Parts: sequence; C-alpha cells; structure tokens
Amino acid sequence: MQATKDEASPGTEVISVEHVSLDYHKEKEPLPVLVDVSLSGKRDELVAVTGPSGCGKSTLLRIVAGLIKPTSGAVRVMGSEVKGPREDISIVFQNFVLLPWRTALENVLFGMSSRKDLTDDKKMTKAMAALENAGLSGFENVYPGELSGGMKQRVGVARALATEPRLMLLDEPFSSLDDLTAERLRKEIHSILINPQTSVQSVILISHNVEEIIELADKVVVLSSRPAHVAGEIRVDLPRPRNKKSEEFFQWVDKVYALLS
Amino acid sequence: MALEFTTIALDIISSWVRMILALGLSVVFALAVGIWAARSRRAESVILPLLDIFQSIPILGFFPFVIAAVYGAAPNFVGANLAIIILIFTSMSWNIAFGVYEAVKGIPQDYYDLLNVSQASAWQRIRTLYIPASMSRIAYNTQISWAVGLFFLVSSEIISYGPANVPVPYGIGVAVAQFYGPPLDYGNYALLIAGIIFAVVVWRFLFLREFALWSEKFKMMEEPREQHKDPIMRAYSWISSRSISKLFLLKPGMGVTRFTSAISRFRRGLRYALVIFAGLFILLVLVAASSSGTLHAAAIPTISQVVTTEGSVLVNLAYSFVRVWYVVAICIAVGLPMGIVISLNFKLYDSVSPLLEVVSSIPAPILLPLIVEIPGVGHDPEFVAALVIFLSVFWYIVFNVMAGVRTLPSDVKELPHVFRASRLSAWRNVYIPSALSALVTGAITAVGGAWNALIIAEYFQTSSSQPPVTQVTYGIGKEIAKATYVGAADNLTLFLSVVSMTVLIVAFNLTVWRRLYHRVTKRYTYNR
Repeated sequence: MQATKDEASPGTEVISVEHVSLDYHKEKEPLPVLVDVSLSGKRDELVAVTGPSGCGKSTLLRIVAGLIKPTSGAVRVMGSEVKGPREDISIVFQNFVLLPWRTALENVLFGMSSRKDLTDDKKMTKAMAALENAGLSGFENVYPGELSGGMKQRVGVARALATEPRLMLLDEPFSSLDDLTAERLRKEIHSILINPQTSVQSVILISHNVEEIIELADKVVVLSSRPAHVAGEIRVDLPRPRNKKSEEFFQWVDKVYALLS
Repeated sequence: MALEFTTIALDIISSWVRMILALGLSVVFALAVGIWAARSRRAESVILPLLDIFQSIPILGFFPFVIAAVYGAAPNFVGANLAIIILIFTSMSWNIAFGVYEAVKGIPQDYYDLLNVSQASAWQRIRTLYIPASMSRIAYNTQISWAVGLFFLVSSEIISYGPANVPVPYGIGVAVAQFYGPPLDYGNYALLIAGIIFAVVVWRFLFLREFALWSEKFKMMEEPREQHKDPIMRAYSWISSRSISKLFLLKPGMGVTRFTSAISRFRRGLRYALVIFAGLFILLVLVAASSSGTLHAAAIPTISQVVTTEGSVLVNLAYSFVRVWYVVAICIAVGLPMGIVISLNFKLYDSVSPLLEVVSSIPAPILLPLIVEIPGVGHDPEFVAALVIFLSVFWYIVFNVMAGVRTLPSDVKELPHVFRASRLSAWRNVYIPSALSALVTGAITAVGGAWNALIIAEYFQTSSSQPPVTQVTYGIGKEIAKATYVGAADNLTLFLSVVSMTVLIVAFNLTVWRRLYHRVTKRYTYNR
C-alpha cells in the first residue's frame, strides 16, 4: 500500500503538527522543550522550520518522524496519527548516517527494509532508480568512505526517496557540506524531491541558514528560543527558480531575521 | 571450621603489598626505559623492538625461569617474595613503558624550546616535563596493569606456595591452596572471595580512580580528549588500543609506528619463515584434533622431529592452540550478542555494567577450587581448563564490544527504527558490523590472555605432596607448570615449549591478526 500522487489533490493537508508539547524530565522537575507547537504542510509544499540553535528544531523533527513521543498534542500524516516510525515518512540526516560497511546500493536497500511487499528484483530496480534520480549513476557499488561529503548526502537522499515516502524530513541536510557542494545540492534538491515521478507530497526542512530557507521553502515556521514555541509563520511567495541576488530575495531574508531576533 | 578473619586479612594485605611493590617497580622501570627510548634515537632502535618482543612472550613463559633464578639464588623469604614480585612486574611493566614512551614522544617542540631557553638540567627536565607529561598515560595503564597483575599474582602465589614449595606465608593464592583440603573449606573460602571483592572495589575507588582523575591535570592541551566519560570503560577501550601495539599490530598514526621501520625489514624476512611454520602447525593441529586423546608425537615423527628434538612439545602446543581458540570462539559467541544487547539499552547498561565490573575483577585462578567441585563436570580436566580460560578472557570481549557499540553515534542506533528494519536486518546491517572492530581488538587481547591463563587452567596442584587436582592430558601450559614445580629451568622440553609457543603466537600476530585488524578497522569503523 504505497502513496501515489493522486491520493492527495492540490491543497490537501499532508502533514499537520497539532499543539505539540514536550517536557524532559530531569529529577522529577519537568523541563519544557517544546510548548504548543503547531504547523502544517500542504501537498507539494516545502515547509522550513528554523530557530535559534538549541531551541529544539531537531527534536521537533524527531517527534514528526515518530522517534520521540510528544508529552501532549499529536502529529498527523494524511489524517492518521503518527505513533511511531512509519513507512510513509523518511529522513535525510545532517551527518548522512550511512553504514560504512555497506555499498551505496546496499545502503539504499537497507532503507527499504520494511518494504515486505516488494520482491528483491523490484527493490533493486527502485533502489537503482533512486540512486540515478539523486545523481549517483555509476556509484552503486562504492562504499561511503570512498565518496565525498556531497555524494554521501546524495546517497542519504536516495535512501530516503527509495522508501517512497509521502513526507520527507530533512534535518539540516546541507550543514555538514562545504559551501560549494551544499550550493549545488540545494539547487537540485527541490526538483529531486518534489517532482511528478516521486511519491513525496510534502517536505519539512530543518535549517538555521535563512538564505537557504528562502531559496527552498514555500513556508517558514520560526521557533523561539527554549522552551520553543512558534514565534511566527511566513509564506514565501517567490517564483522559482529564485534569484539569490535579487532585491526581493533579501526582503524575504530580512523578514525571517526580524522574527528570529 | 573456624573462620580465619586475621589470616585472610593478612593474605589480602600481603598480596596487595606485593602488587604495589610490583607496580612501583613497573612505573620506575617504565619511566627510565620510556624516557630513554623517547629521547635517544639509538636507544629507541634497541629498546622498542625489545619491548615489543617481551610484550608478546606469554608471561607464563617467565614463570619457571624467574622462580629458578631468583629463588634459587636466595632460597628464603626475600627470594620467594622477590620472585613473585618480578613475575607480576613482567605482566605489568611493558604497557606502562610504551605509554611513557608515547607520552614523551608526543611532547610538543615548544616545551623543549622553553627548557632550552631556560637552560634546564637533565634532572630538571625529567622532573618538570617528562614525568608530568607521562602521568596520565601511567594512570590509565595502571588500571589495566592492575587487573592483569592480579591474575599473575594469584597464579604465582599458588604455584610458589603449593607444588613449588617456596615458603610464602601469606597471600591470596596461598589461601586458595590452603583452603583446598580436599575437601574445600567453604566457610573460609567464601570469606576469602568476599574479602578480595571488597579489596578490589575499595582499591579501585580509593586509588585507581583517584589516580586517574588526578592525572587528568597533567594532560597536555594537544592531546585529544577521551570520548567515554566512564573511567572504567575508558580504561577498557584504552587496553584495546594498547594491545594493538602489544601484538605488533600497528595502527597508523599511533606513536609506535615511528620506530617500526627499524624492525620492519627484519620482520618482513621473518614473516615468510613464520608463514611456513604456521602452515606446518595447522597441519599438526588437524592431525592432533582428528586422532584420539591418546595421541602422542610418536604418531607423527617426521614433522615433530624436524622442528624439535623433544617429541611432545608440538603436540602439547597443538592441543593448547585448539583449546585457546575454541574457548575464545565461545567467548565471542556469548560476548558479542550480550555486549550489544547491554549497550543498546541504557537502563540495562547502568544496572549490569557495575556488576560485570565486580565479577570481572575476581582473578579466575581463585575460582579453581570451586570449579573442580562442580558436580558432574568438575572432574573433567577439559571442562575445568575451558572454564578457567573463559573466566579469564571473556571480559575483554564483552567490555570491548560494549565500548564499541556505546561510542556509536545515536543517529546510527536510530537508523533501524527510522527505516523500520526487522530485528534480523538491524543486527546484520547495523549492530554486528558496528561492534566488529572492537570485537577484533577484544579478541586479540583475549587470545593473548588465554595463552597466559593456560599455566593455571591446564594444571592445578595445591601441594607438592598431593597429586594434581586437575590436569589435562596434553597442553603447553601443563608442561610449563610441571617443569616449574620440579624446578627444572634447564629442561630442554621447557625451553622448547616456551620458544615454540612464542614463535607460534608471534607468527599468528604477524600473519592473521594484523591483516584481519587492518581489514576490519578499514571498513568497519564508523566515522563521518
């Protein structure tokens, strides 16, 4: 039972985070980390979440992924509550998190572990397609240690894509890369993820890089410092491809900075 | 039977005094040799290969020679104690010496410039720079050396007091021999074990831990910070890195690599000879393993006579080799899954690891009297040998695996959850591979420890007037132990036993371990 694009018509709410709060319990004293955070992402939308460092952006992402249970509130994907890691949610990690003892192809296949519905041949075809889509044709049998940082992250993207998720979570995917590599991957990421060939219906991007956010996002959710609550939400109405040198671009950047400070 | 509190207290105190003296001796030796090797190129080229060779000789090989030489020269209280202290010293000192060498080698040039400008004397240099710079390495090594030393303390006390008839009035090993009647004096034996556990725990917290914390002050800024916060885990991961150089397995970038070029040429030539020897040996193992237990070297005269004049040496070696390996295989089969399960579960880790610490700190030879009393299997010498080896080396495997899995970044541990991998797939793709390089380092240490454990595992005698409590039919440890008891250090069999065992171990290190280690660490190391 896989997601197809047709399930969700344009404007459908793919992801909704509803009044999520999280407390850490340290010596019985509850320490609030997230307070009443709500956000939503519609079909084909890329929602960026930003905020001061240490505010809990990555924690929020882990709640959405079903890796951490919120103290209160709920996360829904296509209306059904996320109660643990699910087949239709995938993550691209900041530090790639590839298995160094497995080849690029094997890493992608590992990502498809839960796809019991597919035969091995089908899995292989899909994995190869995902690698090609991420710009890695010819690197299937290379070990991660032999790849550059940018290539490693492409494997990470391919692995996440191959699971055919509805919701794609990007956890600071460019911040471990050098500037040039990050720039190149950023240019491609939107079309890699949101195109008619993939299953991805919505993307959440965690980032602290405001220019990156304006370059990629349809909507920006700004979190406050700890305990994090939503400080503001901005819809970025800039046509793509976006010109990073234009006057207009900087106006949007300034809007986000205003909310951050 | 009356409980002998005073005797047991005196036993533990005597043993501890011997241990402390041996440690003091080891530190002084390590400082002298380590600093000398680090500061003089000529000394370096001689001392380091020597240290390397001494490190790889199984310490049990020293037993008969030391007892014969030292106690033979001074057959009294002083000679007896000196012999034991020297034996412990041989198990403690090489590690510490390498630590000092690497620490002094690692002192940045700026410090030397400073001392040159201030025209410091040699003694001032030693006092103000070399010793403080070595302090943290000495402290870490002390934790390891203490555990290893305890094993040899007990073994040498048992052997000295019991069959070798050396007059040692008090000591843990002496108590073990004394309380083994037969029958075993359970009351006093239990008291002894409790006393040892108490002493080990108190000592660890009052001295070893404090020493390690205090020595942190001397760490140079340039030194990379240790990753694990737990001092004991830190020590165990440290032993694994040390044991690499101990077994000629040189990790690139380690201080030790600097001196290898001097001996590498010699080694390369040696390696071919060793490969041939190893091949011959494997053949022997196969012959020994496939024939009945009554096999004697006479059955394979051609091979054995080519290599040795005393026929039984290689057969004994073959039996011991198989024994060492199947027990280590069991340790891996148990320790790998156990270490992984414990490390993945925080609550389990916190509750189980202190328990493992205590159990692992009991030197295995102390448990011998209890092991031979196990109904049904206690009288089977093969079982006794296997269990003693197991209890001596299992900890290296499990602690190394635990350290390896614990250092894995949390997002890697999260990976199987994110992609909803099955349990089998998670173990096959993530957990086992992530523990593999730690497992290899653990196994290297474990095999080294297993060879050392043989002297007490294969042959246990509590008094020269009594027959051995347990002994295997064939085994190199048994041969060496027996030769020690009759004081026959000039025995050709003994000499050949020690030499052939050393050659085998070194050959194995150079051919199998080194290759395996490089292959595994190259692929199975998690780095971003």
